[in-house]
Amino acid sequence: MKGLLYKDIVVLKKQISTLLIFVVVYGGFCVAGVFDFSIIGALIAVFGLTIPMSSVALDDTSHWDRYAAATPAGRKGIVAGKYLFTLLVILISGLAGTVIMVGLSLAGLSDTPPVELVGISLSCATVTLLLDAILLPFLLKYGAEKARVVSMITFVIIFGGAILLGGMMNNGVNMPQLPSWLAAALPVVFALVSVGGFALSFAVSLGIYARKEF
Amino acid sequence: MNNALEVSHLSKDYGAFKLDDVSFTVPGGTIMGLIGENGAGKSTTIKCILNLIRRDGGEITVFGRDNRKEERAVKGDIGVVLDEVLFHDVLRPRQVGKILAGLYPNWDMALFDRYLEKFDLTGKKTVKEFSRGMKMKLAIGAAFAAKPRLLILDEATSGLDPVVRDEILDEFLEFIQDEDHAILISSHITSDLEKAADYITYLHNGRVAVSGAKDELLDTYGKLVCGRSELEQVDRALLAGSRVGQFGCEALVKDRRAFARRYPALTVDPATLEDIMVFTGKGDAQ
Repeated sequence: MKGLLYKDIVVLKKQISTLLIFVVVYGGFCVAGVFDFSIIGALIAVFGLTIPMSSVALDDTSHWDRYAAATPAGRKGIVAGKYLFTLLVILISGLAGTVIMVGLSLAGLSDTPPVELVGISLSCATVTLLLDAILLPFLLKYGAEKARVVSMITFVIIFGGAILLGGMMNNGVNMPQLPSWLAAALPVVFALVSVGGFALSFAVSLGIYARKEF
Repeated sequence: MNNALEVSHLSKDYGAFKLDDVSFTVPGGTIMGLIGENGAGKSTTIKCILNLIRRDGGEITVFGRDNRKEERAVKGDIGVVLDEVLFHDVLRPRQVGKILAGLYPNWDMALFDRYLEKFDLTGKKTVKEFSRGMKMKLAIGAAFAAKPRLLILDEATSGLDPVVRDEILDEFLEFIQDEDHAILISSHITSDLEKAADYITYLHNGRVAVSGAKDELLDTYGKLVCGRSELEQVDRALLAGSRVGQFGCEALVKDRRAFARRYPALTVDPATLEDIMVFTGKGDAQ
């Protein structure tokens, strides 16, 4: 497992470096007042989604899984390694995003209160976790190339749905009101759904890999 | 002597191709050569041993342990070199070592470094910049550094020049000096196996066509070169296959001593593994 994590980090070093340049550039834009600091939160999702996808794509290209399955790591190890790597990417990018946003806020460069920025980071990390939970089984079953279509559809449904919903509310369309207790518990419910979804996704991927022939 | 690998009644049905009732044993301290034409089932057999594909029937044990029930422990005892090198292009040899150190319980980094030095792979080059020979050497060094008891190689020497192949065969011979070690190697290059293997299993159309001790096979089989009229007088039951050409005939004799007693006037030369493979595979050809 340790070897698989190290492999993912080493083979993606170049891509991770490029993404870090994005953070610096967007951070600069935020300091210059072009973007709101919350955009750093969106980068958490970008990291959390593109890095695991690239990792699977690179494994596909070299047919690494055929070799890894022949090692003591086996099929379970490959799946566990990929899920653990995804979790690590979300965790590290979430932490880094939070530190950057809160740091800049405390330095007086943002009007958004630090607590709100932490909330943005947590929300982005939770959404990313849920999206990865949906995408990873497709990635592991069909490979990165074929799963790209699924990821596009997922993005369109989730982000398109959110924009549509926001637009409807802004235009005064009457939406059904959630009970106040449910509205208050919504962040916790969403976090639980994401974590539970990720665990369920792991079990599904284990099943997919158990049947896979190399 | 304990058996390192036992494959019994292995079957795998792909529809268009079937691996059918394959059985063989690799005793400790020996090299088993798995030969056969393309698509004969060599890689399928190796994939079943490594549990990379699901078998439809049969049993496989490695040092007495079931390869599926005790998969992790079994794979910890196996060093693998597949038909192509599957390390990522961007990796340097030392990084490959660090990755595999996290996967194999008995990984020996000092031994891996020694092989990198021996195979001249210590530079800053990445896998992408390696020739096929260098990639294979890297994979073989990695397989040895996993400190396996059983080495499984699928066409590992194909595409390598004779000097490198010879160098690697010497490594294999050194490896099996330990009675607790064994090698299963599939190859098209029968001359390599003639040099290194103790046992041979020849797969043809998914079935074991010939299996046994190499020296015994080479001692028993013979190659008959004669005219068409002479061949017509020979009892076909004594032949494993024949080839009739414009200027003469060749045939594989199953037991050259018995044949010589019955047909003392005909000359039977010793057969090579390639002869055994070609004649058995083709049967009678015009």
